[in-house]
Amino acid sequence: MGQVLFVVWRESVEALLVIGILFTWIVGRPDSRRWLPYLWGGVGLGLAGAVALGMLILFAGEAMSESSQTLFQTGLMLLACGLIVQMVVWMRRHGRTLKQEMHTALAGEVGRSHGWGVLLLAAIAVAREGSETVVFLYGIGQHLVFFEFVLATVAGLALAGITFVLLQLGGKYVSWRWFFRVTEILLLLLGAAMLMSAVDNLLSLEILPAVVDPLWDSSAFINDGTAMGGLVAAFTGYRAYPALTSLLIYIGYWVLVLGLLRLPRATRVPAGA
Amino acid sequence: MFAALVLLAAPAHADELHTVSLDMNDGKFVPTRLEVPAGVKFKIVIRNLGKTAAEFESLPLRKEKVLAPGAESFVVVHPLRAGEYGFFDDFHQEAQGVVVAK
Repeated sequence: MGQVLFVVWRESVEALLVIGILFTWIVGRPDSRRWLPYLWGGVGLGLAGAVALGMLILFAGEAMSESSQTLFQTGLMLLACGLIVQMVVWMRRHGRTLKQEMHTALAGEVGRSHGWGVLLLAAIAVAREGSETVVFLYGIGQHLVFFEFVLATVAGLALAGITFVLLQLGGKYVSWRWFFRVTEILLLLLGAAMLMSAVDNLLSLEILPAVVDPLWDSSAFINDGTAMGGLVAAFTGYRAYPALTSLLIYIGYWVLVLGLLRLPRATRVPAGA
Repeated sequence: MFAALVLLAAPAHADELHTVSLDMNDGKFVPTRLEVPAGVKFKIVIRNLGKTAAEFESLPLRKEKVLAPGAESFVVVHPLRAGEYGFFDDFHQEAQGVVVAK
């Protein structure tokens, strides 16, 4: 439940960030009335896209046999893990220049004097964060009781709204930089946890060999067979009885993530691409 | 050598798997302790006798299984080393149990 809350919260803040930039920019213009409908239209379109994707995933899952459902879910977990990493890396690179990049894009749209670009920018931002949320939620929230699931989602949205307002009020309470620092660490840990669940499924289905199983027993330290230990595992990928394969993949994940985050900007695709 | 002996001793067919049963009932496991032989695959047949959905969950066993009220299902668990492996009901977290491999 905590994971659902966290994911909805962080993704919504990101979407709000983009919408907020677009909104302030539009409101600052003399012809803002003309542009606002495009903004809200884009937000609605993006939401609809994310919901449609969620439905599609749910119905696809329902129609499958149990083992293919596990496999399908495993695939989505791996996808969600990849999305987390991609998102954190992307935010690291564009977070600071996001506002400027969007304003440049907006100015281009206004030059062509039609609002479809604004609509598209908003729709893409919302659909992007929204579909990431949907994929996450399918990966982690599938087994939650429906009521808890809705509760966590609504609470996450509400918290996102409050957070956004606090962040917008300026560095008084919390700064954007601090927000991204803390949440990106949590997100990467969540990505690792999701990867470990996916690996567990692959080991269970005997698609991956365990090689040495278990490598050690640290259940005396934290026992992941209890609800409390399970919570630690759900946020870090911790296992008390890890297979060698799991450990290697876990290490590989962090090596890759740290490598991507440290990669100098100069080796990247030119800005604006 | 030891591994070969274990393989020889292990049942040849899936339906000959060592099987234990577990009942879940709105936040209760019966029994809360399952004894299984160490080093061989085994099967846990799970029934949900309760009025609410239940989820058998165990990270050490790498299993998650949701059961609607009245449903029966099973999980096949990989060979375990001697030791204790916890499980719980994710929908009623006060319910905890343990698989003991000997």
